[in-house]
Amino acid sequence: MTTVDYSKDVSLLAHLLRRASFGPTPDEMDYAVEVGYDNILKEFLNPKEADLVPHDMIRRYHVAQSDLRNQGAAYWIYRMLMTKSPLREKMTLFWHRIFATGWAKLIQHRPILNQIDMFRTHGMGKFDDLLIELSKDPSMIMWLDNQDNHGHNINENYGREILELFSMGVGNYTEDDIKETARAFTGWRVVNPEYMSIKMRNNTARPYGYMSWQFEYDDEDHDKGLKTILGQTGNWNGEDAVRIICEQEGTAKYLARHLYHYFVEDELPVPQWPHEPPRNPEAIDLMVQSYFDNDHSIKAVLGTMFTADFFKDIPARYARIKSPAEMVVGALRLAGPIELPSMDLLAAEDACTNMGQALLNPPSVEGWQGGTEWVSTGAYVQRVNFVSKVLSDPDKIGLRNIIDKIKEKASSSNLTHTQLVDFCLDILGPLDVMDSTKSSLNKYISRYPDLSWSDKSGSDSFDEAVVSLIQLIVSSIEYQNA
Amino acid sequence: MHNNGAHDLSKTTKKMNYVTTVGFNTDFGGRGFEHPASLAIRDDGVIFVASRGKRTSKQTIGIQRVSKNHEFFGKIGSYGLGELGQMVWPTCVTLDLDNNLFLADEFLNRITIFDPDGEPVKYWGEKGSAPGQFDQPSGLLVRGETILVVDSKNNRIQEYNLDGGYISQWGEEGVGPGQFSLPWGICEDSHGYIYIADWRNDRIQKFTSKGEFVESFGESGSSEGKFNRPSDVAVDTEGNIIVTDWANQRLQILDREGNFLIEERGKGGLNPWAEEYFEAQQDEKEARASFVPVFDTDVDDPSEISARIEPYFWDPVSVELDSDDNIYITESNRHRFQVFEFCEGN
Repeated sequence: MTTVDYSKDVSLLAHLLRRASFGPTPDEMDYAVEVGYDNILKEFLNPKEADLVPHDMIRRYHVAQSDLRNQGAAYWIYRMLMTKSPLREKMTLFWHRIFATGWAKLIQHRPILNQIDMFRTHGMGKFDDLLIELSKDPSMIMWLDNQDNHGHNINENYGREILELFSMGVGNYTEDDIKETARAFTGWRVVNPEYMSIKMRNNTARPYGYMSWQFEYDDEDHDKGLKTILGQTGNWNGEDAVRIICEQEGTAKYLARHLYHYFVEDELPVPQWPHEPPRNPEAIDLMVQSYFDNDHSIKAVLGTMFTADFFKDIPARYARIKSPAEMVVGALRLAGPIELPSMDLLAAEDACTNMGQALLNPPSVEGWQGGTEWVSTGAYVQRVNFVSKVLSDPDKIGLRNIIDKIKEKASSSNLTHTQLVDFCLDILGPLDVMDSTKSSLNKYISRYPDLSWSDKSGSDSFDEAVVSLIQLIVSSIEYQNA
Repeated sequence: MHNNGAHDLSKTTKKMNYVTTVGFNTDFGGRGFEHPASLAIRDDGVIFVASRGKRTSKQTIGIQRVSKNHEFFGKIGSYGLGELGQMVWPTCVTLDLDNNLFLADEFLNRITIFDPDGEPVKYWGEKGSAPGQFDQPSGLLVRGETILVVDSKNNRIQEYNLDGGYISQWGEEGVGPGQFSLPWGICEDSHGYIYIADWRNDRIQKFTSKGEFVESFGESGSSEGKFNRPSDVAVDTEGNIIVTDWANQRLQILDREGNFLIEERGKGGLNPWAEEYFEAQQDEKEARASFVPVFDTDVDDPSEISARIEPYFWDPVSVELDSDDNIYITESNRHRFQVFEFCEGN
C-alpha cells in the first residue's frame, strides 16, 4: 500500500472539512493547510467552549425567535453559520435526523431547540448519557406520548422507538422487550402534564402564549415491578433500560452505520438495514470495536472513523449528497457573515424546507433518510437556485474575499480562461471535477473575452465573470455532493 | 458611573402591589395582542398597544386600543411595506399633548403620526445615518412641541418638531459617558432630565434637556442594581427610576440617587378575556384546574425560566406610568401588560 502524507494533502483536508464542517471558506482552508489534518481534527473533536451567540441581538430584533413558538429553524441556521465548533454543530444535525422530533405535533419550536442544545452538550459524549438525556427531554416525552405512559396503564410508544429507531434497529429485540422497556419509563413526564398536553393538542397559545416544558419524574406513577429487558431481569427504571440497551452489540452496530451513512458514504435507507448488509462491514466492525474499547464514547468512534483509511481514501470523496441544511449553510458561509437582523435567515429556513428538509419538522419519527432522497427534480432546482442567488453579489464580504484571493494568485492583472476556472475550483474546495464539467466551465467563461482588472470597467467585468462562474460551479454535481 | 453598591433596604417602606393583567394572545386579529412592543396611556384611560406580531400572523400587527378595565376598542394601522398607516416592526408609541399618536417602526425606518381619531396623517424618515434619517428607531419621547427619537443603530438621539422637521442630534457609539450601544427606551422626569436605556451598555444614562450627560446608573450583572440589557425606563413623581431589566426578566426600581429599592419578577394572572376563553374551552379549563403556575425550575437562564413560568415577565420591553404613577409593564412574549402600584406598606 502506498503511504500518503495526509497532513499535506490539500484535497484530503477539503474532504474532511466538507464532512466534519459545513464546507470550508477560503480562510478556513488556509488555516487547515497550515495546521494539518491531525490538528484540525483534534480541534473539531475537542471544542473548547460554547459558541458565543448574540442571543440578545437575535431576541431583540427577531422577536419571534425570542419566544420561539416558530422561526426556530432560522435561529438554528444562524448558529450553524456562526459556530466555531462545526463538528459539534454537525452532530446536532446528525442526532436531529435520528431522534427526529417535530413541531407539527409539538406546535412550538422552543422545546425542540432545547433538545438541540442538549445534543450540543451530550452529542459527542457517552452514548448512555445521551440516551438518558433524550429520555428526559420534554419535547421527546411529548412527541412520543410518554406523559401518557403510566404505571397502571403503559403507553409503549417511547419504549418501541428507543429500541427500533434510537438505538438498535429492527431485528434485535422482541415485542416483549418493547413493553418491558416502556414499563421502565413509566412516571417520566413533564411538569403540569394534563394542561401542557391539552394546550399542545388544541394547538393554542391562549391566553398568554406557550409555556416551555420541564422534565419531572413521578415516582408514584412508576411501575416498580420486575421487568425483563433484552434478557436481563430486575426492578428496572429508565436509567437501567438505557444501560442494558447500550451494552448491546446491535446498538453499537446501528450507531456505527448511522455515522458511516452521515459522514462517509450514503447508505441504503434505514428501513432496509435489517435486510441488507452495510456497504462496508469492515468499517462498521472497526467503529463498533472503538465503541466498546472507549466506554461507549461517541467522540472516540468519530475519531476512529475520521482517521481510518475508509474515510480518507479516494472512493469516499464526493460519495455523499449534501443535505439541504449543508447546502444552505455552506453557501451562506461562503457569501460571508450575516449582520442581525437579517431576512436571509428566514429565506434560508424556507430554502431548507423547499429542498425537502424542514428543520425541526421531520416528515415522521423516522427522520430523513438522506442520500438520493435529497435530489428529486424539484428539489435540485431549489438547491441550484438558492445557492446561485446567495452567491450573486460580489460585494458580499465572503465573495469579495474569494475575488481578491483569485487576484492574489495571479502573476499579473489578468488571467486566461483556464486559469480562472482552475483558481475558482481551487478556492471553492479545492473541488475535483470531472473533465466534462471542467470543459463546460471553460466553454462558459469564454464568453468573457477579457479577464483583466487593471481599470474600473475591467474590474467590474472580472467580478461579474467570477460570480457567474461560481454560480455555475455550485450547480455542478461535484459541489452538490460532499 | 453612579455607585449602586451599599444600600439600606430598611429605607424602603414601599412595596409592589399587583393590580391586573391586560392582554390575550391573538394570532389573527381581534381582541388581544401579539408580541406587543410598547404602550401609551391617554388621559381618558385609553391605552394604545403596538403589536409587532410575526410574519405568519400579520392581521394582529397594528395598534390595539384597550383600557386597564379590559375594554377593547379595536385596532388602528395595519401591516404593510410602505403606505401611510402601515407598519412592519413597530417599536414604540407615544402621545403628544393634543393626543396625536406617534409610532416608530424599525423596519421601515420611519415615524408615523396618527390623529386623535386614529387616522394616519403623515410619516417621515428613511434608512440612513444623515440628519433626518434613521437606522432602526426605537424609543420616542414628546417634550412639548418637540419629539426625541432614539435612533438606535446610529447610537444617537435626534430631535424633531412635531411635524417631523429635523432640529438637532446628540450621542455616538461607545461605552463612555454620553455614548451609546444600541439604546432603546427613553423618558423624562418632572425636572426635565432625560433618561435613556443604554441597552447593550447595561446602564441607564441621565442627561439634561439639552443632551448633556449628567450621570449613569447600573452596570452589567444580575444582582440588585445591575442590569442585563435594560429595555426601557420611567421616572415617577418621587423621582424613583423604574427599569425593565429585559434579559434579567424583571422590573427594578432605584431611588433618585440610583440606589436599589425593589425588584419584581411578575405576577400575571387570568383576566376577564382569559376567563371568557376558558368558558368556551371546557377541556382546557378542566386541565388547568390542576395547573401549578409557579414551580422550581432546573435551569438558570432567566428567559427559559420565564418561558416555563406563566406569571413571570417574559421579555419586558417597555414601562410606562399613568397619572397616578401606576406602573405598566409590556411583555413581548406573553402578549400582555401587567399593572402594579408602588405604594406604602410591608
